[in-house]
Amino acid sequence: MSRVSGLTTLSIAGLLLTAAGCSDFQSSFAPSKRTLALIPEAQSGVGTTPGVTPLVDEKFGNPQHLKAWKKLPVEWGGVTSSVAEYVAGDKPVIRLTADETTPFPVRAGRLVLTSGDGAGKSYEISDWNAEKGEATLASAPEVAPAAGDNCTLDPGNLLQSGRVLYMRHCSHCHGTAGDGNGPTAQYLYPRPRDYRNGIFKFTSTIDSSRATRDDLLRVLKYGIPGTYMPSFLLMKDEELEALVEYVRFLAMRGEYEQKLVSELAADFSSKALETRLQSESRQDIVQELADFLKDDMPETAETAGDELAETWTTAEAEESKVVPSVPRVPDSPESRRRGRELYLGKALNCANCHGIDGAGNGPQTIAFEKNPLTDELYPEAGLHDIWGNLNQPRNLQTGIFRGGRRPIDVFNRIYAGIKGSSMPAFKNTPHEDIWHVVNYVLSLQFESETGAVGEAPAETVAAAAADSQN
Amino acid sequence: MKKFWALFFWFWPLVALWLCAVAPANNWWFPSPPLSTLGHQIDGLFYLILIIVTVTFVGTQFALGYALWKGAVKEPSGKAWFSHGSHKLEIIWTIVPAFILVFISLTQLDVLAEIRVLSNFPKEARNAPVAEVMARQFEWRIRYPKPGTQLMTEPRPGDLYYVNEVHVPATQPTMINLRTQDVQHAFFVPRLRVKQDAVPGLIIPVWFEIEKAGEYELLCAELCGWGHYKMKARIIAETPEQVQAYLARLEQEQNDDGVADEQSSQ
Repeated sequence: MSRVSGLTTLSIAGLLLTAAGCSDFQSSFAPSKRTLALIPEAQSGVGTTPGVTPLVDEKFGNPQHLKAWKKLPVEWGGVTSSVAEYVAGDKPVIRLTADETTPFPVRAGRLVLTSGDGAGKSYEISDWNAEKGEATLASAPEVAPAAGDNCTLDPGNLLQSGRVLYMRHCSHCHGTAGDGNGPTAQYLYPRPRDYRNGIFKFTSTIDSSRATRDDLLRVLKYGIPGTYMPSFLLMKDEELEALVEYVRFLAMRGEYEQKLVSELAADFSSKALETRLQSESRQDIVQELADFLKDDMPETAETAGDELAETWTTAEAEESKVVPSVPRVPDSPESRRRGRELYLGKALNCANCHGIDGAGNGPQTIAFEKNPLTDELYPEAGLHDIWGNLNQPRNLQTGIFRGGRRPIDVFNRIYAGIKGSSMPAFKNTPHEDIWHVVNYVLSLQFESETGAVGEAPAETVAAAAADSQN
Repeated sequence: MKKFWALFFWFWPLVALWLCAVAPANNWWFPSPPLSTLGHQIDGLFYLILIIVTVTFVGTQFALGYALWKGAVKEPSGKAWFSHGSHKLEIIWTIVPAFILVFISLTQLDVLAEIRVLSNFPKEARNAPVAEVMARQFEWRIRYPKPGTQLMTEPRPGDLYYVNEVHVPATQPTMINLRTQDVQHAFFVPRLRVKQDAVPGLIIPVWFEIEKAGEYELLCAELCGWGHYKMKARIIAETPEQVQAYLARLEQEQNDDGVADEQSSQ
């Protein structure tokens, strides 16, 4: 009886919750763990001076109302044009200047003036004629636009469509803010990427550089075999483009948040507060915080934005791309044997993590590592990534290459490392040597026994196996 | 009121017949005519069974209505006919459905054997699977043999890989090897009427002969997890020459060493 009434209560509560959920749900970008480790005043601000969260929201908005910080190298979308003629009246019409190279968009819902007396004003378009480029405005403008004024149709529409697609296809794993903590994330191994530090693992750029748009596009199109990241090959090109921009936007947002937190973490985290309270009063500390937020933070924030713009722009530049100085050394038993020597050798020491037979079982996989954030040993043995997850070296015998199986992909993994993981960048190794290792690594899947590179005679194989065991 | 029930049971078969009649014109039917040779046979079986169940449904509903109608108009006097335990009736309603079921099972045997039994596959398809289609949560991973070689069970050096897109020759019998890396999935191409479960641990040969070049949607038809809805791919049917050209492109791309690419773009 009580069970039945319990169930009834539950279902009524469920119905109420559902109804409440439907009415006025506002999603938000969750603050990072490091933000939450700050004292409340540093998170939200002192008095009218904003703290980290309002500062980030000011530049990036929230999922309902995204903001475009023009400084950042993100394609926001929208079509720029200029006013050819303004016809006032009951139904005010703005006719736009036709441009032969870029036709008018099929749909348009908003027009924003970007120059002239009415610069910054935004108008809703009630009726749009795509052929003639005529926008009928829903309400009369306060300042009549003049011919020649620049304007943008649907500014930010690319980012907005990216958000819609992201919420539908990505957020259940990667989370609304890109924190890799969506509802399905806890069931997945490896965990979905948290890109709020701007780091993506599989890139075509040098180790110090961010990911390019093409890198993200590649991952979206082909997925990451061996993980839960599926392929989105069947999406349209413009959908993929919008998703890439939105993911970059989220990555920059997260990175910006981290940069601001880093300024405050040393002095104003809850942990620092505990120590400081022994010699200072809380009031003084908050006053110091208020002064810092007021005097230094605005400039720091601008600088952080400039840095973001620079790193993400540089990533797309030609000099950031990894280009081997020599073409791939033709795959041959000799090359593989040389690769294996390098693989086992002191300089590269691949076997230390990946094991002497490439099965991902090197000695490092059973060593206890120190967490660089807390300076304590991780509770479980093995290698960890910067996200704090156990991230064991790849078993190279499976034939699954997460970052791609093209020779250039494997070259990139060795030359530039895998960002965020323990795989280091071997950028001082001669490119020819890297190609030998690539040839060896690509052949591991087909080895009949350890070290049996290609058509090596049986005795060599036995000797190599004996060598590697010593 | 008594007559109402007779009319009620006569009404529904009429609705069903009307629905069947107007369905094709309203696009409530198959997504397209069958576009593979097997598809015609499978549709033929479908229509055969549809006709049998229609006749059965309409017949039994009208018989039911007739019995009710007779009871409704009958004078409420005299004795009712006690039919329970009538051997004659029981023999009729056992033999007739049994005959129909045996008829259906025998009729479909040929088609079933052609779809499922490897030794009945067209010879040219049976000996040369064009690709391995590996289902996994939540995508289709494709492996083609290195051009000029046979597809082997285990990956061979030079095999070509792609995801969510299979290129196959049109207008000739074609076979793929279906596998799954994790749970059960199902290889379903609605316009070809091909549907086959992928079962962990098994390599299941699937063949079809696509009659028209073009793009075909490949879906997973076995609820395989939370991302089941994402599991969509396309089959591209083209001429054998186009498939060869595609594989050559794929081979070139897969051997990309980041250097040749640079030189050709300069």
